[in-house]
Amino acid sequence: MDDAPEYIIEMLHITKEFPGIRANDDITLQLRRGEIHALLGENGAGKSTLMSVLFGMYQPEEGIIKKDGQVVDIRDPNDATALHIGMVHQHFKLVEVFTVLDNIILGAEDTKLGFLSKKEARRKVQEISERYGLRVDLDAKVEDITVGMQQRVEILKMLYRDNEILIFDEPTAVLTPQEIEELILIIRNLAKEGKSILFISHKLNEIMEVSDRVTVLRKGRCVGTIETAKTTKEELSRMMVGRPVQLVVDKGPAHPGEAVLTVEGLTVPSRLHKNDAVKDVSFQVRAGEIVCIAGIDGNGQTECVYAITGLEKASRGKVTLCGRDITDAPIRTRSKDGMSHIPEDRHKHGLILDYTLEENLVLQRYYEPQFQDHGFIRFDAVREYADSLIQQYDIRSGQGPVTRVRSMSGGNQQKAIVAREIDRDLPLIVAVQPTRGLDVGAIEYIHKQLVAQRDAGKAVLLVSLELDEVMNLSDRILVMYEGEIVGEFRGGEVTVEELGLYMAGARRAQKEGKRA
Amino acid sequence: MRQTNSAPLWKRDGVRSVLASLLSILIGLVGGSLIILIVALTSKNLNLHSAWEAIRLVFLGLFSTGRDAAGGLTFGFNPTSVGNMLFRATPLILTGLSVAVAFKTGLFNIGAPGQYLAGTAATLFVALEIPTTVVPAWIVWILAFLAGMLAGAVWGSIPGMLKALLNINEVIACIMTNWIAANLVTWVFDISNLKNVVENTKSGYIYKTSFNGVQTPKLGLDKLFEGSQVNGGILVAILLAVVVYIILTRTTFGYELKACGANRHAARYAGIRDKRSIVLSMAIAGSLSGAAASLYYLSGNTEFFWSTYQSLPATGFNGIAVALLAVNNPIAVVFAGIFMSMLDIVGLQMTNLTAYNEYITDVIIAVIVYLAAFSLVIKSWLAGGHRAKPAHPAGGGADAPDPNAIPTDAPGEVPAAPGEAPAEGKEAREK
Repeated sequence: MDDAPEYIIEMLHITKEFPGIRANDDITLQLRRGEIHALLGENGAGKSTLMSVLFGMYQPEEGIIKKDGQVVDIRDPNDATALHIGMVHQHFKLVEVFTVLDNIILGAEDTKLGFLSKKEARRKVQEISERYGLRVDLDAKVEDITVGMQQRVEILKMLYRDNEILIFDEPTAVLTPQEIEELILIIRNLAKEGKSILFISHKLNEIMEVSDRVTVLRKGRCVGTIETAKTTKEELSRMMVGRPVQLVVDKGPAHPGEAVLTVEGLTVPSRLHKNDAVKDVSFQVRAGEIVCIAGIDGNGQTECVYAITGLEKASRGKVTLCGRDITDAPIRTRSKDGMSHIPEDRHKHGLILDYTLEENLVLQRYYEPQFQDHGFIRFDAVREYADSLIQQYDIRSGQGPVTRVRSMSGGNQQKAIVAREIDRDLPLIVAVQPTRGLDVGAIEYIHKQLVAQRDAGKAVLLVSLELDEVMNLSDRILVMYEGEIVGEFRGGEVTVEELGLYMAGARRAQKEGKRA
Repeated sequence: MRQTNSAPLWKRDGVRSVLASLLSILIGLVGGSLIILIVALTSKNLNLHSAWEAIRLVFLGLFSTGRDAAGGLTFGFNPTSVGNMLFRATPLILTGLSVAVAFKTGLFNIGAPGQYLAGTAATLFVALEIPTTVVPAWIVWILAFLAGMLAGAVWGSIPGMLKALLNINEVIACIMTNWIAANLVTWVFDISNLKNVVENTKSGYIYKTSFNGVQTPKLGLDKLFEGSQVNGGILVAILLAVVVYIILTRTTFGYELKACGANRHAARYAGIRDKRSIVLSMAIAGSLSGAAASLYYLSGNTEFFWSTYQSLPATGFNGIAVALLAVNNPIAVVFAGIFMSMLDIVGLQMTNLTAYNEYITDVIIAVIVYLAAFSLVIKSWLAGGHRAKPAHPAGGGADAPDPNAIPTDAPGEVPAAPGEAPAEGKEAREK
């Protein structure tokens, strides 16, 4: 291998156009053998397009791809597989009811006379998993194992197929801080063993920690490739966004007032299993403070918010909004009584994708006298209102108010929801993962909006899986684990590591913010 | 990253929809012609000349005026054909509207035949049982019409309620209610005293409403289209289409209904009562199918043959074809309904004038419906798209392809609907 060229994969001057847009404009990406190379960029910067080109999903208009110095022609994903390029998707492609081993060999099974023979495969998988420290239980069903282990199964799938180039697409999005640590170790190990790794992310911390070099994309162009050791988070974010970004939003101390939302003994049944998803949860959110519910995905935060916002019924407990009992109130009543809601899933709840931007911007108020006259929509008023929100909140889209929301980028879709909910000017804002999947520019923007709302005397209930967000924004932090609040802290009084331990259920405290 | 800046999307989209439908029609007609040609070439008794005549009728049957002394086909304005076309279009437009309204609100109303039957029974009972000696005929007409709509609405709301409250698929519920309607209506007429016993050569027929002096006014249309069965019903149908169009596009009620259809979860999130919307949209759909039956039987020259519950009224199912061809646009439904009934006339003319028969038009309709169902594909083909790719990534920037679509093991995950933008999968992935 000594005579091998320096770069294992070279994508040279790739240009890919879509109608009306140049998704990749003369991008060059060179991956060295055995390095961890991060690909950094905002949503819409062209990362995914570039990877699709590498995988043969798209044919570039210009540019060439070289493997080991030889020009290769990747026409479809099978070509990419033949070149030993593998990818771990952010959302795993596993068959839930199959065992780990079956998942790993799926599509590359050994057969004897038409019958599966797994013995050889089992031996090979065991060998690989020992070599790279990928602990998995080969006979467990995928649906029974943790997300972290599922990810290791995905990695094993790639290694089983002897892939040399491993692409990780936002691999940490679903992991706990402890699992992230473990993943980073694994990735380092893989690189040490000679695998070449492309690490796609927009999280600066991880990139600083794990990568050797970083290529930054912005608006379809390559801003540059630099050595990670010679740069800083601030420089990277500036390269990514094109202007200096405030990574931590400025905020003064909170001046909490009256309780706006009071939750007492809330219990919500689970849809998935017999146990309650939320068990006897009580807390208050006061005017002028940001209260954050932190926790690993699936520990009852979603159900808790559903019960507060009315999407699901609570089986016990009481929810009071501005002094009124809203436990069993219809959603419209809660909304009129003063609750705005930035939902967790913007495509499921937040937007009607086939409606236009202006129709979506009035989704919570189309029935108000301002927008209707005897049941007829006042289109001129809707347009005027939409135009003002679009301008005020800088929502970008192809055709302005008449754009189908489906065609907008995730960041702008989220901006539209934030604009719609904040502009209603209601005393309580329930924001669930408001920056999910957004880039630093958009995150900065939404964080500023939330802090501004707090300073304007609104009560903000924030639910977030992102520890950075929790640490940055919260005036108070509630940690939820298995449906219960296991810890309560004041913002700034707790470290990320400690929070991680509570989130993983390793520690629990009495309420009243006592440190364990 | 320049912005997409050209004609408004809906405009081009609308134009493409119309073109796609017209193309389906053209291919259907050409396909029918080809079959005629094949039949002619493979049959000893038919020659190419007869095939040519039949093909001319496929395209121009509406304007056929018979044969001249020399035996050649003659063409010109045929008021009877045009009038009958409008008469036959009346119920089709309404069942088409019925299906289209449900589609627009995210429901597949395959229950139009049952709702049509419910409307038939209600209309005939009211029109025939209220003596016009006591109540003026025009009031009976209105009552019968409303009864038909109401019965259809009730029948349509049954699957609606099952869907809203118990989450039972409306297609299954609709098919069940169709057959319940067929048997129920047969039974109700069986024990009624409305069976036509005056003309005792007929068995199994219900009196025409004109027997009680109740029939839709002609409004002078019979003068315009002499010798045809046309009456004011067609105007009622068109009026209803306009009303439906206005409700769907201009009112908050339509906004709510469509919101529930496009994304029930988001509608609920916004405080829209989704269950109520589903029931209401099925009720509206049902009332339109009921109105179709009312207008058909209130014409006074049609009679209901009640003993054939083994089959469901074709008008109901043809509504699906009409709605498909019209891409669920209420105004386009009017034209699609008229076109479909024109094909009926074509079939009749062909049977009357040539050795070929009307079944050929069924083939044509089948081809057209098939193609209409593919209209999305045809639309993207018209747009010049060769493979699935993001349509219009917005100015703010869009990571064009769905990264989920990359997997080596799932080539089927290429975004399926051409012309649809990429965002969905991407967001789902972020969960």
